[in-house]
Parts: sequence; C-alpha cells; structure tokens
Amino acid sequence: MELIKLLNSLPGAVAQGLIWGLMAIGVYITFRILDMADLTVDGSIATGGAVAAMLITSGVNPWLALVISFFVGMLAGFVTGVFHSFMGIPAILAGILTQLGLYSVNLRIMAGKANVAVNANKYYLLVSLRNVRELSLQNPILVLTLITAVVILTLYWFFGTELGSSLRATGANAQMARAQGINTDTKKLLGLMLSNGLVSFSGALLTQYQGFSDVNMGRGAIVIGLAAVIIGEVFFGKVFRNFGLKLLAVSLGAIVYYLVIQVVLWLGLNANDLKLLTALVVGIFLAVPYWRSHFLSRKKTDKEAGSHA
Amino acid sequence: MKKIIALLLCVMMLGVSAAVAETVGICQLVQHPALDLATQGFRDALSAKIPDIQFDEQNASGDSATCATIINGFVSADVALIMANATPALQAAVAATADIPILATSITDYATALEMDAATFTGVTGINVSGTTDLAPLDGQADMIAELFPEAKTVGLLYCSAEPNSLYQVNTIRGFLEAKGLTCKDFAFADSNDVASVTQSAVGDVDVLYIPTDNTAASVTETIAGVVIPGGLPVIAGEEGIAKGCGVATLTISYYDIGFATGEMAAEILLNGADVSAMPIQAAPQFTKKYNAENALALGVTVPADYEAIE
Repeated sequence: MELIKLLNSLPGAVAQGLIWGLMAIGVYITFRILDMADLTVDGSIATGGAVAAMLITSGVNPWLALVISFFVGMLAGFVTGVFHSFMGIPAILAGILTQLGLYSVNLRIMAGKANVAVNANKYYLLVSLRNVRELSLQNPILVLTLITAVVILTLYWFFGTELGSSLRATGANAQMARAQGINTDTKKLLGLMLSNGLVSFSGALLTQYQGFSDVNMGRGAIVIGLAAVIIGEVFFGKVFRNFGLKLLAVSLGAIVYYLVIQVVLWLGLNANDLKLLTALVVGIFLAVPYWRSHFLSRKKTDKEAGSHA
Repeated sequence: MKKIIALLLCVMMLGVSAAVAETVGICQLVQHPALDLATQGFRDALSAKIPDIQFDEQNASGDSATCATIINGFVSADVALIMANATPALQAAVAATADIPILATSITDYATALEMDAATFTGVTGINVSGTTDLAPLDGQADMIAELFPEAKTVGLLYCSAEPNSLYQVNTIRGFLEAKGLTCKDFAFADSNDVASVTQSAVGDVDVLYIPTDNTAASVTETIAGVVIPGGLPVIAGEEGIAKGCGVATLTISYYDIGFATGEMAAEILLNGADVSAMPIQAAPQFTKKYNAENALALGVTVPADYEAIE
C-alpha cells in the first residue's frame, strides 16, 4: 500500500525535476562553464514565472510566453553582467543586487500583485501537475523531455561554435583567453544572459505546472540548482564525459533531487523537519565527491606502495 | 551507493502498513501562528466527527514551489480530501486535481486566488473547491478607526508587498476609509528586513496606522512596536496577533474557528457525501472587538466599554 503511494508520486517528482533541471542547466553555465556563482537566479526564475503568468492570463499562446520569458530572463542576466563586467562588482554581489532589484520588477510585471493564478481549467497550458499520471500527449513528462532534449542539443551545438568555445575558454582560463584575443567581459555577459534566460524559461514552465506565479517562488532556487549540478556529477560524472551528456546529467540530478524530496515527504516525518532533511540529504550528496576522492586516492597509494614493496 | 539504496529499500519496507482508514492530506504554506491554529481547528473538528481519520500533515516551510511537491504526494496517495492552508497551497491543489475534494482555509479572496470573475462570484466555486475565508470585516475595522480616532485625518496602510491577501484588504479598506473622508497612504515593505524603516517613515506622516491580516507583519510585530509606540502612532490591526504585538485595537476573527468550520465541512463531504462544488465558501462565525490595554494606555487612547482586553 504505502510503497504504491510512493511509486504513484514518482511521475510528479520526475516532471518537477525536469523543470528544475532546465533551471539547473542555466546554473551549470555560470557555475561550471564560467566558473562564477550567480545568485541572480532566485530572482530570474520568478521573473520568468511572472512574465508567463501575465501573458498566459491575457490570452497569449503558452509557447510564445515561454520564448518571451526566455528573453526577459536574458535581460536580468544582462543587468548582472553589466554590474560585474562594466562596474567591477564581484560576481556574487552583482547577482545579489540584481536578485534584490528583481523583486520589485517582478511585482511590477504582475501588476503589483504578489501572486497570480494560472488556472488549469481556464487556459491551455503546456504542462500541468494535473496530467502527470495520464498516459496521453498532454503528459508533462513527455513535453518536458522533448523541451529538455531540444535545449541540450541547442546548447551542445552552441558551445561547439567559435563563440561558444570562447565562452568556455573564458571560464577555463580567463588570462589565457584574453591572450588569445577573446574579450572575456562580453563573454561573461553573454554567459550570464544565456543562463538567466534558461532559468527564466524554466520559471515560465514551473508557473504553468503548479498553476500560479508567486513573487517568492524563487526563494532558495540557487540551492536546488547547485544541488542538481552536484548530484548529477556524483551519479553520472564517471560515465558522462561528453559535454551534451554532462548537461543531461544536470537534468537527471534535478530529477534525483525531487525524487529524494518526494521520498522524504512520503516517509511522513514531522512536517517541520522537511528543510532539515533536505539539507542533510543534499549535504551528503555534496560530500560524496570528497569522500570518494579521499577514499579512492588512499587506496591507490596503498596499491602503489604494495607494488613497490 | 548500493548501501544507500539498500537502506532506502529497508525504510520503504518498514513503511508498509495495513491501515485502510481514510486519509486527509493537509498542505500548509508556512509555519505561522494563525495558519497553525487553522490547521489545529481543522484537525480537531474532523477528528471529533470521524475518530479514526488519518492526517498526512505537510508544511512547505514558506517555499511556495514545495506546495506542488507536497500536493503531488497527496494526489498519488489518492487521499480522500485535501486541506489547503493558504493561497499557494490551494492553487497547487487546483493545478493537481480536478477530482479530489479540496477544502481551503486562511484564504482571503477566493475569486482572486482561483482567478474567477470577482463581479459574478457567488461564493460557490462550481469546481472541486470550497472552504473558509479569513476575510476580516474590513468595513467594521474602518468604523473602528473612525470610532477610536475621530480627530484623525490621514491613515497609513502598512503591509508586505509579497502578500496578495494584504493588498486586497488594503485596497478594500481604502474605499471604506475614503468614504469617511479620511486620506490614505500606502506603506509597503518587501520583507522583514525593511519593516522598521518603512514603519518609521509613517511616524509623523499619518495619524493612525492600519495593518491588515499580513503574515509577514504578524511575524515582526515587535519591530513595528519598537517604532510606533515611541513614535506615538496608534495601530489598528486586522487580526489579534498583530494587535497583541504592536496594536491598540482590532476587530478580529479566530483562525481556530475558521479551521474548525473547514473541518466540519470536511466531515460533511466524507460522511454524508456532500458535493464540494456546491458548498458555499464560509466566513468566520463571529467577530470580536478587542484592545491592547498596555498600548492604549501608553498612547493615551480611550477605548469604549464594549471592547475586550487582549490577554
């Protein structure tokens, strides 16, 4: 009985994980490729949600709403990029500043309201929590898998172009990149725009999925994004060497994150402990790479020592 | 990794139980005294009617996106009924199911929360949703301001811009206050960090400050008190918790009462098969005029005899 309940809840966790996976891919671009921690995302995911909610409730096609959310999110990234590259503010602070400002911007977008409902009964939505256990073309998992595949393929192509490669070079070794004649400031700006565009895009999907946009919906998003990136690396880092597969690992990492949350909820522990348990689980995942390297490297040295003896 | 999986499997096995009693899923947005009371009232009322009812109580701890995760768990477990405590919980529940009855509480305005036309909204949703509203009697509160402060010319409206319910109340009471010839001024803060400075800007600017049933304000009443009491600015609050912390008086509802009423509605559905889509949204059963003796004394406000002192 109990186990069936859990199994039943897994499709929902997968769908939510796929949505946050797109967001986490955005985080991956700044955190792993550009090697900077961008905290704009807590604001830009809500921006995407706000834009989508306002557009969809005024009758705009949800696909178009997604595209517009992407571009509005890019604007948020642009602001952080300007703060960082052209005003000399450290990346982490630049992101926090934008995130702070976005709170007011998001309220403006939602016409001064903190919460806008997007009722699944009234609008055509691309993804909805309601259809997650249905075997139909309306199932959000199908739609989200397709969207994720398109996003990963596009990014795979983009990071293979000259422009994309110079972006990677900027993150890998900024000094060397500059020596090659790459303008690292504009590349960071571009990376931030791309990242926040994706984050905002996933916010637009999340709004449709959960049926509302809320000015607080991005609270702690960066934690989920980073957790997804690391969990993806812990589970699939060994196998997935190819860049496209690494992006896929991030998406899978987000799914694992939501599966874990769903299991924690299913365990039916004290409702107030959810955050502590989440922190513990994510903490363990974060520790795994360290433990593994520690443990494996010692074993290796033991073996080497043995062969010399 | 294998060990972790093995451990998880063991835990799953332990979770297997043969209980078949009906389960009600409770999704509460955040740990908060008023919402906690509503949940408690709901549980008390429903357990009194159906003693063997099971509750799966979850709290999103303030992350509105977690409501979707929690509700997904409820729908998967095929609970008999979902109780959604606060607006994002209700919206996530509506997004998740069109079949399982949803009862909500602590919602101020159902038409806005469910995006229905406010002009034609009759108090019956027509979908699988009903519940209770925490809407305070705003006209009564406007009367109270006029009654206690006949000299006042301007009223400040202090609220958190992240709370849709607060904005709704502020806009509604503004109409009532302006009808009495009073001038209103908005003071909105974004979160608990800028409450003190926003409140400070109201001191000296307005004669009376009104705070609606705002969850953020409710959690920072001490900060507000630290500004308004020394500044000599009386506060009329939308609910008792805020009046107790920093206010002079309130015309209040009890969250326990509305939670209890929601529990009785749940019993109607589960025991008698009542149709949730035809059940009207219920308001609080009674309003009480209450005052904060200490603050009234400190600010020199004379309170009529029909006010009850807040304990």
